[in-house]
Amino acid sequence: MKLRAIVARARRGLRGDLRLYLVAVACLTVAFVCLGAALWGLENLAALHDRFAGPRRLTVLLRESPDTTPARELRAALAELVEVRSVRPRTAAELRDAFLADSALGEGLEALPADLFPASLEVTLVPGIDRERIRALAERIGRFPVVEGVETYEGWLGGFDRIVLGGRIVVGGLALLVLLSVLAVVGGTIRLTVAGRRAEIEVMKLCGATDGFVRGPFLVEGAVQGVVAAALATALLAGLYVLGRDALDATVGALTGGRTAFLAPWMLVAMWAGAALAGAVGSAVSLRRYLTV
Amino acid sequence: MPATQLSDTRRGVERSESARPSSRPFPFFRAGARAEATAGSRPLLVLEDVHKVFRPDRPVLRGANLVVERGEFVFITGPSGSGKSTLLQLIYRRQTPDDGRILFCGRDVARLTETSIPFLRRNLGIVFQDFKVVPHWTVFENVAIALEILAMPRRLVRARVAEALERVGLAGRGGERTGVLSGGEQQRVAVARAIVTEPALILADEPTGNLDPALAVDVLTLFEEIHATGTTVLFATHDHSLIASRDHRVVCLEEGRLVEARRGLRGWHERLRVVGGAA
Repeated sequence: MKLRAIVARARRGLRGDLRLYLVAVACLTVAFVCLGAALWGLENLAALHDRFAGPRRLTVLLRESPDTTPARELRAALAELVEVRSVRPRTAAELRDAFLADSALGEGLEALPADLFPASLEVTLVPGIDRERIRALAERIGRFPVVEGVETYEGWLGGFDRIVLGGRIVVGGLALLVLLSVLAVVGGTIRLTVAGRRAEIEVMKLCGATDGFVRGPFLVEGAVQGVVAAALATALLAGLYVLGRDALDATVGALTGGRTAFLAPWMLVAMWAGAALAGAVGSAVSLRRYLTV
Repeated sequence: MPATQLSDTRRGVERSESARPSSRPFPFFRAGARAEATAGSRPLLVLEDVHKVFRPDRPVLRGANLVVERGEFVFITGPSGSGKSTLLQLIYRRQTPDDGRILFCGRDVARLTETSIPFLRRNLGIVFQDFKVVPHWTVFENVAIALEILAMPRRLVRARVAEALERVGLAGRGGERTGVLSGGEQQRVAVARAIVTEPALILADEPTGNLDPALAVDVLTLFEEIHATGTTVLFATHDHSLIASRDHRVVCLEEGRLVEARRGLRGWHERLRVVGGAA
């Protein structure tokens, strides 16, 4: 009953100051669109990183075909190692065919030489091996005469790690900025509504209303502002994503070898809940400062 | 009504439904607090040597004393700036006395904590010169707010508001916007809001100050009708013609003290003449 009464009074307040709230929600929606877009970018970047990073692989580049005796001995030796899950031999011809099949320009590249790529062994490692052990393993494999080189992808993955970390820092900073803007916008809106409703607050206080009774609807109004802005931003981003998904997958997807995805449901729920909480907190902070009747 | 067994305001109000009009929501100041058994036999309001100073060179109250029994109608009068409003503000704890005690139903309101003040005010009906109604709310909403604060069920709120509006002569006008009503009607809305909770004491702070003489008499009559049902009324006014037209107890604020004149302004004038003659 009490909550229902608070919500009913909040509804009345929202109706009464509708234009003010619309302006506030519009401002917050812009902020949440920025945050949502950044989260979307980071989520897809992280998914790409996970696709490339695990399970860890080594590519052992061979001086000769994998069918030769030294290469077969090396393959057998690798298969015996505890760090190795599987070893797959790839001939130069196989690699060239795979490249032509993957590339949209395959037909124009048929003149490429048969030994474009060196023969190799694709070594898949067991999960949980740290970089130090991979490095040591690569160094040991590299001592075999048949081995031309060992690619651990470490430099490439290290760069990718840094990009994802940078993305997370940027999104974290953006989330902080959005939080501050929610606090500021909701706080300012509530300040204005408190000034506009001074008469009714005074009436309520004179009739014996507790602080909770007076503040309750303002907190609800702050939370509503936050959650409506987050929901609008989500809807806007989802609409844009649906419209541009095909084009995005045709370009970015072709480069990364996967399809993009929209924000995960848990992330949407977290954003809405965070927005509601930030709105309520912004309202509470403002009430603490300006509700002095 | 066994007031000592009541545990919160809401229960008090609900019980009062079955026991009206002889009983009122009992003046306990905080949910869960129990009133003393003897509280019903004490004076409703007692001011003991109350002092209030805003400017050191001009104290507003200097040892004000007053006893108001249950069911009394008391005019508080005095010139503008004499401290009538301050006196009422001390009772509903908008102000705190510098010294002295203000006992409402035996409890010193000056010593109430901030969180207890709302529970004091739930037992008071307060009416102001400037009405203090919310103009963009409907008449119903302006009156119902006092009951919503008590978390009263919606059905009961509708019934009680309708009854209060009928008592003040605004029956059937609950849906109108308060801002479009005349001054006299707005004051009636304020009175309805003050009486809808059936408080122990009504404080009227110059309620006729913004009304023409005819409307002022109407509003005073309304307070008298409310008083006739057993409600104690403290009516602050500087309108001597209004006081002279009635035969209620009159208390005058003079130089920070409350001076008694028991039977209307005529009695007060007689008393002043006697005091002046003796001098």
